Amino acid sequence: MITVALPKGALLKDTIRLFQTIGLDFSAFLDSSNRQLQITDPTGTAKALLVRAQDVPVYVEYGQAQLGIVGYDVLREKASQVAHLVDLGFGKCRMSVAVKESSPYRSALELPLYGRVASKFVHCAREYFDALDLPVEIVPLYGSVELGPITGMSEAIVDLVSTGRTLQENGLVEIEVLFESTARLIAHPLSYRLNSDGLNQWIERVRSQALERV
Amino acid sequence: MVYQPPVGARDLLPLDVAQKRWIENRLQQVFHRWGYHRIITSTLERLDTLMAGGAIQRSTVLQLQENEEELGLRPELTASIARTVVTRMAGATHPLRLYYNANVFRRAQESSHNRQQEFYQAGVELLGSSGLLADAEILLLVVDCLQSLGLNQWSLMLGEAGLTRSLLSPFPETLQPKIRHAIANLDRVTLETLPLSPELRDRALLLLDLRGHPTDVLQKVAQLELSDSQRLSLDNLKSLIDLLQSASTPSLPHPSTPLPLILDLSLIQTLDYYTGIVFEVVSEHPAGLQVLGQGGRYDQLLGLYDPQGQTYPGIGFALQIEHLQQVLVPTGQLPQQTPAIGWLVVPENAQAYPHALSYAQHLRAAADLVRVELDLGDRTPAEIYDYARHRRIGSIVWISAQGEAKVETINPV
Repeated sequence: MITVALPKGALLKDTIRLFQTIGLDFSAFLDSSNRQLQITDPTGTAKALLVRAQDVPVYVEYGQAQLGIVGYDVLREKASQVAHLVDLGFGKCRMSVAVKESSPYRSALELPLYGRVASKFVHCAREYFDALDLPVEIVPLYGSVELGPITGMSEAIVDLVSTGRTLQENGLVEIEVLFESTARLIAHPLSYRLNSDGLNQWIERVRSQALERV
Repeated sequence: MVYQPPVGARDLLPLDVAQKRWIENRLQQVFHRWGYHRIITSTLERLDTLMAGGAIQRSTVLQLQENEEELGLRPELTASIARTVVTRMAGATHPLRLYYNANVFRRAQESSHNRQQEFYQAGVELLGSSGLLADAEILLLVVDCLQSLGLNQWSLMLGEAGLTRSLLSPFPETLQPKIRHAIANLDRVTLETLPLSPELRDRALLLLDLRGHPTDVLQKVAQLELSDSQRLSLDNLKSLIDLLQSASTPSLPHPSTPLPLILDLSLIQTLDYYTGIVFEVVSEHPAGLQVLGQGGRYDQLLGLYDPQGQTYPGIGFALQIEHLQQVLVPTGQLPQQTPAIGWLVVPENAQAYPHALSYAQHLRAAADLVRVELDLGDRTPAEIYDYARHRRIGSIVWISAQGEAKVETINPV
C-alpha cells in the first residue's frame, strides 16, 4: 500500500481535494474532531500521514511516505533528496524580502553591510544574500517574523507572501522577490525508480488532474 | 569527566563484530571463489588522490593537515586502488582481480545531526578488461554475494552512464549540466521549465523516465535517432542483459525466477567517473527500500593516476556492510549471541596454578577451535557456578593442587 504525506496548514484543503479527484479520500483529516495522525482511505488503497509542512520532505526522503505534497518554498529550504514530479499550481505565494515602510531601503542591495535579516527560511535567505555577495546576519525566528523590523531587531525579513495583507497591516513593504512558490508532488526516489506498489500510476493520475485544473 | 566519542563515530561491541564478521566471511568466500585477491590500501590518502576522479568533493572528505600535505580519510577505495595499481603493480599481468573489506569515512552533511561518519565496505575491482564478459562477471558476482547472504528480496537497477551521457549531447551545452542534474535527481519540474524546444523537452522527459522492464526500455531507446556508437552501446547492453538472464537462473533459489533486473537509463550521478554500465542493488524490505551496494565501469579513471597517462579499463562495486546488517537482522540469520565458551578452568588453590595453565593449554590445542577461559581467582564456588551459567560456559574443570582434573558439565552443547 502506498503512503502519502500531507502538509498541515494552508495547503491541506486543496491537497485533500486533489486526492479525492483521483479516488483517494483523506477528508477525515479535515474533520475538526479528528486526532488521528495516520489514516487509511475508505477503500483501503492508500495511507496518509498528517505532518507539518517542513516534515513532508523528511518522510518522503526516508521512504516512510512514497509521495508527498508540499510547497516549493519548503523544498528550497530543506534541499531534501526527493523527486520533484508535478507543479500542482495551487498554494501560490512568493518568497520575498520586506522592510519597514518608513525605512530608506528599496532594494536588497541597499541594505547595510552586516545588517540583520530575520527569517524562518534561514537557508533560502543565506543563499540569496550569498549570491548578492552581501554580508548580512541571518536571525532565525520560528514565527511572526514581521516583529523583527517592527521592534528594530532586524532591518529586513525574508518570508512567504501570498496576498501581502500581513505585511501591509504591520507596516512592511516587499522590496524583492526571491522566487515564486506553488505546491509540488514529490516522491521517494527509490520507490519512484522501482515503481513500488504501482506508484507511477498514482503519479500519472495526479499529473493529469493537475493539468486539467490549469 | 566523561570522554565521549566524536560526533558520528560508532564503537562495535563483540556482538556487532560477530554479526559483521558473519557477513564479511560469506562475502570473502564468494570473492575467493571468483578468484579475487584481497588488497589493503592506506586509510589516509592525499586529498588530490581522492579527488582526481572528479566524483569526490572536498566537502565530503574528513581532512587532516600534515606539514605541507593535505590529507584525508578515504571516502571510498577505488581511488586508492587505482593509485596503487598504476604504480606498485604496474608490471602485473592483466586482468587484476582485487577485493577489499575496509572502513571508509564521509563527512556528514551539514543538515544532519549525528549521522554516521565511518562506514564499512566490501567490494571488488576487476582491472584491465572491458567487454561483455567482464561486465557480466561483476554483475553475477554481486548476485552471488547477495545469494550467499540468503537475501532474495532485492532488485538490480542497471544503467549505462556512457550511453546516457551521449543521449544528452543534443541539448545546448550551457543547459547540459542542469539537465544532467535534474535527471540524476529525478527533478521533472525543472526539466519542464527549462528554456527548451518542445522536441528537446520531450527528449529530456523521456530520458528522465527511461526505466522499467529491460525489453521495453531497449525498444524505446532503439526508436530514438541514434549514432553508430550509440547503437553499438545499445547492442552491447542488450547482449549483456541476454547473457545475464540466461546465466543467472541456475544459481537462483527457483530455477524459473528471472533475475530481478530493472534497466534505468536515468541512473546517473551529477558528477562521476563512470563510462559504461552502472548499477545499484536495492533491497525490498518491510521497513523500506535500502541501497545495499553500487558500482560501475570506469575506463578512463586509471589513466588519471598513471604517470604516463596510459589508461586501462576497470569495473567494480562496493557493498555497504551496515546496510546489509540492517536488512539481515530481521531474517534471524545473523548470530544473536557472541560465541559460547567451551571450558572454564578453575585452579582450586595457588598450588594448582601450573596444572591449571597446562590443562587449559592442552584443551586449546585441539584440532577444532575450542574456547577456554581461565578462572582468575577470588571467587567462591557458588559465584563460579553462577558466572558459568550466565556466560554460557560448557563445562567447568576443577584443578586440584595435585593436578587432578574434575570435569562438570554446566550448559550441555
